[in-house]
Amino acid sequence: MTEFDPEAYAKQAAAAVGLPLHPAHLPGIAMNLALAARMAALIEQVKLSPADEAAPIFVAGRAP
Amino acid sequence: MRAAALAAEIRAGTRRAVDVVEERLADIAARNISFNAFTDVTADRARAEAAAVDVKVAAGQDPGLLAGVPVAVKNLFDLKGITTLAGAKIERDTPPASRDAFLVRQMQAQGAVMLGALNMDEYAYGFTTENEHFGPSHNPHDLTRMAGGSSGGSAAAVAGGLVAITLGSDTNGSIRVPASLCGIWGLKPTYGRLSRQGAFLFAASFDHLGPFARELMDLALSYNVLQGEDREDPAQRWVGKQLVRPEPEIGDLRIAVADDHFMRGGHAEGFAAVQAVARALGTTRRVTIPDAGMGRAAAFLITMAEGANLHLPNLRIRPDDFDFATRDRFLAGALLPAQWLQQAQRVRAAYRAKALRVFDDVDVIIAPATPYVAPEIGQNMIEVEGVNIPVRPNLGVYTQPISCIGLPVIAAPIADPVGLGTPGGMPIGVQLIGAPWAEDKLFRVAAMLEKLGVCASPAVRD
Repeated sequence: MTEFDPEAYAKQAAAAVGLPLHPAHLPGIAMNLALAARMAALIEQVKLSPADEAAPIFVAGRAP
Repeated sequence: MRAAALAAEIRAGTRRAVDVVEERLADIAARNISFNAFTDVTADRARAEAAAVDVKVAAGQDPGLLAGVPVAVKNLFDLKGITTLAGAKIERDTPPASRDAFLVRQMQAQGAVMLGALNMDEYAYGFTTENEHFGPSHNPHDLTRMAGGSSGGSAAAVAGGLVAITLGSDTNGSIRVPASLCGIWGLKPTYGRLSRQGAFLFAASFDHLGPFARELMDLALSYNVLQGEDREDPAQRWVGKQLVRPEPEIGDLRIAVADDHFMRGGHAEGFAAVQAVARALGTTRRVTIPDAGMGRAAAFLITMAEGANLHLPNLRIRPDDFDFATRDRFLAGALLPAQWLQQAQRVRAAYRAKALRVFDDVDVIIAPATPYVAPEIGQNMIEVEGVNIPVRPNLGVYTQPISCIGLPVIAAPIADPVGLGTPGGMPIGVQLIGAPWAEDKLFRVAAMLEKLGVCASPAVRD
């Protein structure tokens, strides 16, 4: 599997969400993305079943 | 400064609110420069509110439970007529708020006197209140050290005796961390308990509001006053008013110390504080909150994404107007893959289910509030367990897994940090953690700790 490259990813993802990136900000962004990737790798280890719903639950409206 | 006692004097007519407010304004003018707690002082408003309280007292009307009590709020709360800064230079361009935040109205309805708005980390994204635009807040116990954050101005104002009660917000620890570092009481209620209407959000699914005070009685008083149904906050879950009295009655409560995640990653003083509290309560029981580290990781990712999404319009056009300490985190947060976020939200729910089961056997859990006492302002790294790590994010290592699932917490200050042997005799606190909606039990344990002399706000030493 290709190794995660935070800088290259940041440039592409920023283009996708219409976020101009200043070269001076890139090292800080890459550092934070690398940290986020470590956090994501941690939670990928949690075994979830299809019944495990996400925390926010949509509510159609307050009960009358 | 005791809010409850002061309100009693003013209600009895033995002291005038207008005198108290002038004394507070003079004190703030003289000493705020040391703490850099206030970013706005609302003197005209405070004088008018104090005068109105005195008029009511003179007319024999009830001026309210907080009659004439000087209060202030983190500058992310709307105060009518001034701009809500949320610690950001960018927000200086925003028009003044057209009305007070819900919790401000709750306090005002009980006669509180609003003295102003308080410093914070930009958009609440930090644990230190080293704000690039407004300067750092200073810890009243040692002005060279951090006040903590993000509600650092709120904690410094109370610890330094400028006002009796302040309000802050807590997304990942922003009430509990500064309360611990400044040696005062702080309450982060259950998620959904108090309305957040009129408060500038940070990461909405974690955002809580709550009070700080030097006296436990005042924390209880403010909690009682702040509760109210508000249909304008979509996250509020109104379960009715829970009036608390800090009575030291804990005979029926099952109390345990959190182990695993909460017994590593900090310095000796954080764990010594927990031991002192457990010893005083006669608690030998230990309990594991399973997957707390996973909960923290999930909170980290969700916070990044929710915060970034909120600020994306400004990140696109004026990134250099953000505080350098928050900018790159927000920029990175705007780019996270959807898989990381959805996984984080599902892990969060699974973690919550496991954590809630712990409360089948335990009522109150004791855990460290911060891993160490207040670091020096500007300090970047700290050694923990032989490894040099960034000092700032680690300040929330014990608070983040708890707010992530909305549990109520009282941050309780150790009364004698010198006796505990903390570095420099600096304050430190512990977390008293309860099941959702069980704030009343936390107040009972806190009251016992106060009665036993283990927890109280330590005096600022000259």
